[in-house]
Amino acid sequence: MSLLKVENISYSVIVKEETKKQFDILKNVSFEVESGEIIGICGESGGGKSTLAKVIARLINPDSGKIILDSEHINSNKRSRPIQILFQNHGEVLNPFGKISTIIDEALKINRIHKDYIGRERENILDSVGFPKELYERRGMELSGGEQQRAAIARLLAVKPDLLILDEPFSAQDVESQLNLVNLFKRLNREFNLTMICISHDLRILRNLANQVIILKDGEIVESGLTNEVFDNPQKDYTKFLLSAESLELTYEEIKAKQYT
Amino acid sequence: MLNVDINSVSILDEEKARTIIKDIKFDLEKGKVYIILGKNGSGKSTLIKSLTALLPITDYEVKGKVVFNGEDLLISSVEKLREIRKHNIRYVFQDAANSFDPLKKIKYYFDLTNVSPLKIEELLLFFLLPTYKKLSGLHSYELSGGMAQRLLIVLTLLANPDLLILDEPTSGVDYAVMNLILLKMKNFVRDNDKSVLIVTQDINFAIKSSDYIAYLSDGSLTQFFTSDEFMTSTNDNVKNFIGSFKEIGNVTA
Repeated sequence: MSLLKVENISYSVIVKEETKKQFDILKNVSFEVESGEIIGICGESGGGKSTLAKVIARLINPDSGKIILDSEHINSNKRSRPIQILFQNHGEVLNPFGKISTIIDEALKINRIHKDYIGRERENILDSVGFPKELYERRGMELSGGEQQRAAIARLLAVKPDLLILDEPFSAQDVESQLNLVNLFKRLNREFNLTMICISHDLRILRNLANQVIILKDGEIVESGLTNEVFDNPQKDYTKFLLSAESLELTYEEIKAKQYT
Repeated sequence: MLNVDINSVSILDEEKARTIIKDIKFDLEKGKVYIILGKNGSGKSTLIKSLTALLPITDYEVKGKVVFNGEDLLISSVEKLREIRKHNIRYVFQDAANSFDPLKKIKYYFDLTNVSPLKIEELLLFFLLPTYKKLSGLHSYELSGGMAQRLLIVLTLLANPDLLILDEPTSGVDYAVMNLILLKMKNFVRDNDKSVLIVTQDINFAIKSSDYIAYLSDGSLTQFFTSDEFMTSTNDNVKNFIGSFKEIGNVTA
């Protein structure tokens, strides 16, 4: 059985209190994630990407549908949640006044790691995300955006999640940092067999990082499959539109036609 | 049209001054789109602000010359600079929403342009914004970030400046809008014989939209290259930057 099964998830919000008018953010979304995979979810702003991430991480409850985690793949001895999520505003995840070493130790203690091993484990984890030793005693606010992001990832890895969700980890980063992150995620995936769901509007990066992609539009899955197949041979107009939009080769007529359909 | 020869821009810290930008020389000509590429923190925003003496003199020291139509902007009077920033050299900053006074309705900004509603409507339509009538009644805080940015671009275009300077126009913008901005900038310089200067870290956008690209790193600027020349540049910093960009796009997984 797959590690994660997302079955017919729907989620809506009430936009007008008086009329109880509803807006559907997610409509009947279903897909499966195999253990050890990296799945990319892409689509434009407002497509429901972040909401889907929160539903999978059980931070919000869907109106209907099921999120099924396979017990076979999950270590039930842990006291932390099997799904961890890296938010877009990663800087705000870290305690700005907490030392990085303390923040990581706290996370390690959740799963009752023996105190003799904490130091070694801390170093392993910070090392695996390429966080330099000389910054261990710095506080959250004393780090640059990129360093904060690495520390935040280490904090998530410290509880040994079975599934890691990354919400737009590449936005607001320059290409060199983006490349470093892609390589880091690939390495974590390889070394720890860590399953990941990566949300990004950047198709170029997903093409490199993800084995599978899901194209989301207005809360519905438009197309999904192996990354190469979807991007090299898109079946749906919306996927084709996204690909040509990314290469910045749309004509005005094409952009306009899409807005009104 | 604009000749820039800046020796240095420094931040005045308590005692010692810290140089952020040094030895920058370039000329901007009419009818072209220029792009300055650079990583986070390379000094891009500081550079464009120094062009029309926008950096507060209490904190910054700018040495050099920026000559526009024969006038050195760095020694111009405050009144003259205001006129130039109003009519000739206009900016669209990154945090577009903050460029509006939250107490004023958008109608106020439409009226400032002295352009007929019909013509404004045309541009609004191009940028897929709500109608003139609808926007007029709104305050800036009622717009999304992306809408505020597009509206600011519309207002700036209506002022018909000689030089339009944009700071990271593609950050936080989806690809459809990115395409729109690109198309409009190209039309603007071609149809009106104007210039556009864009600073960005988006190399893809730079290649597709520019006539010339230069790379800023650690406060130093390379010469302006055509995009073909840029992609094959032998400059180490440029090579590294392009290398990362290409590597991300390569499928190795």
